[in-house]
Amino acid sequence: MDTPETRSLAASGEYLTFTLGAEEYAIDILKVQEIRGYDAVTKIANAPPFIKGVINLRGIIVPIVDLRIKFNLGNAAYDPFTVVIILNIGKRVMGIVVDGVSDVIQLNADNLHPSPEFSSILDTSYLLGLGTVEERMIIVVDIERLMSSQEMSLVEAAAA
Amino acid sequence: MSIDMSQFYQVFFEETSEHLASMENLLLNLDVAAPSLEYLNAIFRAAHSIKGGSGTFGFTDMTSVTHVLETLLDRLRKEEIALRADMVDAFLAAGDVLRAQLEHHQGGPEADAGEIETLCARLNRLAAGNVEASEIEAAPAAGEPAPARRIRLDCLLPSNVARVPEAIDNLLDALRDVAAVEVKHRPDGADGQLIAVLTTQASDTGLKEALAFYCAPEEVSIQPETEEAAAPVVDGSAAFFDDFAPSPTLPSPAPADQDDGFGLFADAPGAPTTQPEQALVAPGDSPAAIEGPGYGMYVDAPSGLGLFDGAPGSDHAIRTTAPAPFPDNAAASVTATIDVTATIGRRLADNPTIETAKAGRRDNDKIVTAANTDTSIRVAVEKVDQLINLVGELVITQAMLAEAAGNLEPVLAEKLLAGIDLLARNTRDMQESVMSIRMLPMSMVFSRFPRVVRDLAGLLNKQVEMKTIGDSTELDKGLIEKITDPMTHLVRNSLDHGIETPDKRIAAGKNPKGTLTLKASHQGGNVVIEVIDDGGGLNRARILEKAKENGLPVSDGMSDHEVWQLIFAPGFSTVDVVTDVSGRGVGMDVVKRNIESLGGRVELESSPGFGTRTVIRLPLTLAILDGMSVGVGGETFVIPITTVIESLQPRLDDLRTLAGDSRMVHIRGEYLPLISLADAFGLEGQADITQGILVVVEAEESKAALFVDELLGQQQVVIKSLEANYRKVPGLSGATIMGDGRVAMIIDVAAVTRMGLSQRASRALPDSPDIAKRQLTA
Repeated sequence: MDTPETRSLAASGEYLTFTLGAEEYAIDILKVQEIRGYDAVTKIANAPPFIKGVINLRGIIVPIVDLRIKFNLGNAAYDPFTVVIILNIGKRVMGIVVDGVSDVIQLNADNLHPSPEFSSILDTSYLLGLGTVEERMIIVVDIERLMSSQEMSLVEAAAA
Repeated sequence: MSIDMSQFYQVFFEETSEHLASMENLLLNLDVAAPSLEYLNAIFRAAHSIKGGSGTFGFTDMTSVTHVLETLLDRLRKEEIALRADMVDAFLAAGDVLRAQLEHHQGGPEADAGEIETLCARLNRLAAGNVEASEIEAAPAAGEPAPARRIRLDCLLPSNVARVPEAIDNLLDALRDVAAVEVKHRPDGADGQLIAVLTTQASDTGLKEALAFYCAPEEVSIQPETEEAAAPVVDGSAAFFDDFAPSPTLPSPAPADQDDGFGLFADAPGAPTTQPEQALVAPGDSPAAIEGPGYGMYVDAPSGLGLFDGAPGSDHAIRTTAPAPFPDNAAASVTATIDVTATIGRRLADNPTIETAKAGRRDNDKIVTAANTDTSIRVAVEKVDQLINLVGELVITQAMLAEAAGNLEPVLAEKLLAGIDLLARNTRDMQESVMSIRMLPMSMVFSRFPRVVRDLAGLLNKQVEMKTIGDSTELDKGLIEKITDPMTHLVRNSLDHGIETPDKRIAAGKNPKGTLTLKASHQGGNVVIEVIDDGGGLNRARILEKAKENGLPVSDGMSDHEVWQLIFAPGFSTVDVVTDVSGRGVGMDVVKRNIESLGGRVELESSPGFGTRTVIRLPLTLAILDGMSVGVGGETFVIPITTVIESLQPRLDDLRTLAGDSRMVHIRGEYLPLISLADAFGLEGQADITQGILVVVEAEESKAALFVDELLGQQQVVIKSLEANYRKVPGLSGATIMGDGRVAMIIDVAAVTRMGLSQRASRALPDSPDIAKRQLTA
């Protein structure tokens, strides 16, 4: 499932873009369950700082990750405009805190380019590529891979 | 394009297990003497459904077994043949085989092919060649009881039986079940000759079957008493000793001291070799046929063809030790027959009597259940759980609305407020009925025990009657599944160690038949399940002695209650001999652990000579927990109420330090380790210990005092999994949603206690002489 062809094939489609600080990111819209405001969370003991805690989403306990803290982007303030994107990945539901949701865009082979190798907090293996829309650079994240990765500590070590 | 059947496999597996379970249940309740036609039909239907299903899905192995089963059942329900106890045994065995096959299809180990073959042969034999045995029953049943007659029984016991006096006693007891016995010559050691005069109504076959466990039927000779032990005059008997009986002593002339008629032992070279086949057809044609050539069918019994060599003075040497060569096609039938006879023999000898208590309403229950299945639907558990979740949300929303409406002016918003009241009532009713979907009656658990008890009692030579009380008590499906294993263990324990053997019971002045009672009831928010036996009870002295041997801290002055608790220690068993059933000492500790993991408790009561009572208390459902909510650093935590002993406000005088830092609290003579929840969960908690609350908890036998900021209340909470979307968090057993919609964590008291203790051990200690002023936060 992880050959370059399948990855680029999977990369064509509709994406939800959101901002983290000054950067614009995009994730596969099919992984998005809903978008809601930031609510009070219940802290989880001994969790890394970017895991804000859990919320009650209609009876389901959902962990909330603040990507701004994780990627050290923007200032992690929580106001009425702070947005949580609820993702449905595999059979798990989880939420990510972002600065704002901007658009739904169409990306395909023409405007999606492979990301160059570079070193950053965000490992390039979690990127599907870099998209260009109206001269803006959009970082396309393989959100499934990222959220189920070991470093997000969202899953049991054995299951990761 | 064929439809992918595999998507329906799961449905088939579930249905088949249900059919098998109901079949077994019906079989165990079947009255062999007067089988209810309704039951037989129900069993037939179950077998038929399994056959149909397995055929559809291509599980041909199961189809073939059920087919044989069905054939026999069909004849039974059409009353062509009479039901016998050995048939029930065969049916139960068939159920086991089918279950093994089913497990194989579900990815389990392969079912034993040999066993299946034997079973099919056995069933076929019962269905087709049944005439022989049914004759025995049919004759008296037809209203022509055989007149009592005096006969002379003469048989030669194999030396391994003859040497054991008890075996001979058992044998005579078996005979006494069917006849009045007058022993003329008792076997003794090397001399295996048994001669007795019987007065009986039983047929010769019946007598031989009574003896079948002890000696081969052809060793038995039965003649009318008047005939003075004359050798039987059987036509064509000589044919038995034809050249396919490779006895080394053949040809053997009859010894001189033999009576007449023993010429039949002469070598008969010209005898027709087809005899065995004829013999197989012959049995059952008439009693005479059985006495006569019919014994060809017992040809592979140890004594071989020496048909009447048990007659007085006969030469014992005339026995073939080598198995007789036998036509292949007959071999299976012969095995089956021997099997059946042996079974009967065993039954007569051991006579394990098991009855399931048949309360009057039980039969009615059955019919109701049968009717219910037609009106029920099969729904995936996830759908039900989803519904439960949604209703839970609805309740929270309703609570929110009610709170908001509380601020309205009652006069202005009269209609709205009335509507909100109605909504509150409806949601509550709805929540109750939705929760009841997951509830299943305890009979789901109890129903598997009649079989366990029956099998075990037979194995242990005990007589046990099983009673169930409160079958309809409802319990959450998840609990039902998890309670079965511990219950099985308790039942086995009761049968093995609790209930005594019939002779011991008689000696103790009790009914030889022990009683095992399974009882379920609701008590408050709990379900109480009891396993009660009227056996010997626990042996206090023995337990103490063993506990000392195992190095457990015990004293003779311990209360009974404390002594019984020792049984739950890992590896504890007072039994010296490890049996198949129990005694390995892995058990009660596992039972206790399993039940505690379900949020329940186990208690034991026992009085010597009167029996033992094990009481299991469980919460109504796995999904709901009685909790005490506490506040720590602005967060809410829930402590399971079953672990809470007390809560109190600590006084400075009660606090002690151990090795500088470890805090202890002195409560009523006990020193308990003090664990701050704020420390354990990295929160900013109450700094002044005298302003907080200590919650004394007990888990896994150890007590601790948890320091919290405040007590918020006590309530039932719905347990939600943290692992579903996140992962396991040390110290937490799950989460729940409080009335205000916020998430609260449920504390795993045992883990927190362990964590708290190890954290303190590893932490570098700031020195502070004044404990009260010390920041408790990490």
